[in-house]
Amino acid sequence: MNNENRKIKHVITSCGCDFLIPLTLVLLFDIILHGHLSPGGGFQGGVLMVAVFTLIYLGYGYDSIKTVKGGILHDTEGIASIFYVVFAMLGVVYGGYFCENILFRSGNIGDLWSSGTIFLMNAAVGAKVLTGVGMLALYMLAILSQIRKDS
Amino acid sequence: MITFNYIASFFLIALGFYTIITKFNLVKAVIGLSIADYGVNLLIISIGYVPGGTAPIFTQGEITQLSYFVDPIPQALTLTSIVIGACVTAMSMSLVMKLHESYGTLDTREIRRLHG
Amino acid sequence: MSNFMNYIHFPIYSVMVLFLGAFLIVVLGKNKTLRSIIAVLSVSISLACMIALIKPVMVNGEVIAYWMGNRVPAGGYAIGIAMEVDALSLFFGLLISTAVFVSTVYSIQYMAHDENIPQYYTLLLMLAGGVMGLVLSGDIFNMFIMVEILTFAAVALTAFRNRVFGALEAAFKYLVVGCMGSTCILAGTIMLYANAHTLNFAQLSAIIPGNMNTSTKIAFALLFVGFSTKAFIVPFHPLAADAHGAAPASISVLISGVLTKSGIYGIIRLTYFLFQTMGLSTFQFLLVFIGCVSMFLCVTMALAQHDFKRLLAFHSISQIGYVLTAVGLFTAVGFSSGIYHALNHTLFKGLLFLAAGAVLHETGTTNLDELGGLSKKMPHTTVLFLIGAFSISGIPPFNGFASKWMIYQACYQKAVESGNIGYVLVTVICLVTSVLTLASFVKVSQSVFFGRLPEKYENVKEVSFGMRLAMGIFALLCVLTGLFPDLVGKYLTQPAATAAFNASSYIDAMLGEGYAASAMGPFLPAAQNVVFYEAGVWSPMSWLLIMCIVLLAITIVAVTSKYDRVSAVSSGEADAKHALFFSGEEAVYSQVGGSDLFWGFKHNWRHYFSFMHDLHSGILNDYALWAVVDLALVMLFMLIVL
Repeated sequence: MNNENRKIKHVITSCGCDFLIPLTLVLLFDIILHGHLSPGGGFQGGVLMVAVFTLIYLGYGYDSIKTVKGGILHDTEGIASIFYVVFAMLGVVYGGYFCENILFRSGNIGDLWSSGTIFLMNAAVGAKVLTGVGMLALYMLAILSQIRKDS
Repeated sequence: MITFNYIASFFLIALGFYTIITKFNLVKAVIGLSIADYGVNLLIISIGYVPGGTAPIFTQGEITQLSYFVDPIPQALTLTSIVIGACVTAMSMSLVMKLHESYGTLDTREIRRLHG
Repeated sequence: MSNFMNYIHFPIYSVMVLFLGAFLIVVLGKNKTLRSIIAVLSVSISLACMIALIKPVMVNGEVIAYWMGNRVPAGGYAIGIAMEVDALSLFFGLLISTAVFVSTVYSIQYMAHDENIPQYYTLLLMLAGGVMGLVLSGDIFNMFIMVEILTFAAVALTAFRNRVFGALEAAFKYLVVGCMGSTCILAGTIMLYANAHTLNFAQLSAIIPGNMNTSTKIAFALLFVGFSTKAFIVPFHPLAADAHGAAPASISVLISGVLTKSGIYGIIRLTYFLFQTMGLSTFQFLLVFIGCVSMFLCVTMALAQHDFKRLLAFHSISQIGYVLTAVGLFTAVGFSSGIYHALNHTLFKGLLFLAAGAVLHETGTTNLDELGGLSKKMPHTTVLFLIGAFSISGIPPFNGFASKWMIYQACYQKAVESGNIGYVLVTVICLVTSVLTLASFVKVSQSVFFGRLPEKYENVKEVSFGMRLAMGIFALLCVLTGLFPDLVGKYLTQPAATAAFNASSYIDAMLGEGYAASAMGPFLPAAQNVVFYEAGVWSPMSWLLIMCIVLLAITIVAVTSKYDRVSAVSSGEADAKHALFFSGEEAVYSQVGGSDLFWGFKHNWRHYFSFMHDLHSGILNDYALWAVVDLALVMLFMLIVL
């Protein structure tokens, strides 16, 4: 009786997560990419990654989370941060000041590719927060499953 | 309406500090710190309020002398402050986990090996 | 590429290269040589940018106003984020880059046996970048962000060695009370924004002093308490003691030399520039009172300590008390002696912490009761430690004497000029604290470096060359700033003091000529000429000569007479008839433990010491209570006095 209940609960939660995870991922990338046009931006989109990892853990257990490679996330975080500094320094290199928007007149107002270096900096911050907070969630979930396995 | 926001935010800050002082559990100290941060966030966002203003999203042609919008700077400051609050919570909870592993207790009256 | 080398970009280079180095180490950190090269290269470029700015800013007296993204003020209102470098910022920037450079060179060898080393270098460079951003920033919200960055990095570095006794709890207490302080800074910043609707520091300095109302006074109290949390003055000193004792030695150098100075920088910017309340004598009383209490309380707490690094931490806060007292006097001599003492404190306290780290690295303990006689095994470290100990006690040719002499002169002159007899009491407290510092360092040198070597430390060797090089750089700078105080004054402290007393040139450089006069009207601070004369006639070179002659005499006597205390005691053990007197055992040499020196003094003051010991209970709730009580008292003071 108990085993049956557990199996039904597993099926229900994994169906629910199947429905929610793609929606959350699409929302995440939409918020990051439209950061210069609507409320949102790098951080707000990146934090949703914790929700994605938690949904995968709830629906499928720790075995699916284990396969996410922490090394790639760690390196991506560093590379995204370096890109942020590079985009900010572009202003100094091309004759202006730090953080100057040198691609000022690119695209029309309201387009996706419109506000020059602001868009690029936004994407870099979004990538950094996504990977950084995601790694935090992975560590916490690992410790949680370790405690569950011990007890 | 707006005075009520200010009173509520100072009450939250005071409540947060009170929690850190009187509760003897480490997790409650972290919660108190978070409550104080949320109180400051409420204060920041209430300062930018202009009665009857709209959202400050305009393009080049739409903005005129008569456009009446709320102050956008405190909104940016609030977002930054929310990020910082989240980071403080994350770091302090990691320290609480390691403290529990190494001392075996979460009582602040027991965790006092460095004193005098 | 000529825009790249224009010197107005140098402040932003020295901040960004540190952050860029941190991010590069995240990606490339596994390789040991690459990691060391990136770290040393970033801090060297940062130091070089600061040194290259001495000529335009200090010598020519120019103020660099840098708007990010070239968003210059429109319609008289500041709309961008600014960086402003005047002589005061550059002084603190030089101090910070030097300390970070030496600490990085030291930690290459010191942290070689730890685990998670790439994370250490990342955090170290983030801490350095945060502090450089704080002192070079011209925007008050940017200062708050940098304060948060440096708090996180310092907390993570304090807890870096998880298994050290008390590291985790020191980091947790520092995090909780430090974040209470940052919350206060943010609340104060927002209340200032609500009054002036700008976040630019120069524009706030023009608008706020003429329009003080209740909310700006509360904002002043919140900002003052927030920055004094970062500076670790009373009543936040127990956090410093815990954090210094638990952190690795290269990080203790940064916490005591750089973080405390950033708090002092914040307080100077608040009182001299933003609110301009230093003219009131009751307000000078607040700073001088807090400074005197910090000085005296911490030096007496230091006498009762058993741990080497905790003792050094209490002395560090006591010297910060000196700086705050001198800055609070609001005279030209006072201010320049205060910041000269801040520079000297970074140098000699850094040297002392590095020597303590060397001892810990070789022997594995910092307990004063267990160490002893290390001068035979580690002679270079002993000499460098003694240079630091002479400096902090204020012995003539070294730098501590030069700045302390100027502080005594400043306090006494203030007593004479203002006719207030209380400042004579302040001078007496400064002198007594100096004597107690000397006593404490006699105790430390005796119990760690001289005396008998315990058997378990027979295999201790001298530390490696990289660590001695770092200590040697600090020692050389200590000696140089002591021998040439007039050069230090002409190039470093006097331009900074001139900048502090002329807030209107700071405001004009950022917002255009004449802005200060038009915006402030009758509250315009008068441009003061910073001129003062030093008391007494003393020439550092002759004192150095006297000290060398005395040391030579002591060395000749010690070497030629073959004086050895150990053989004097145990010479009686060969005689069997004395064995009965010691109940059949051989003569035992009893080591006087480090904390038992000056026992008479401690016995007479035992009620005070036991009261202080119980008060510093180590419970987080007590420290938070002191923080809130301090906030309440300062708020009451501001509302009543201003």
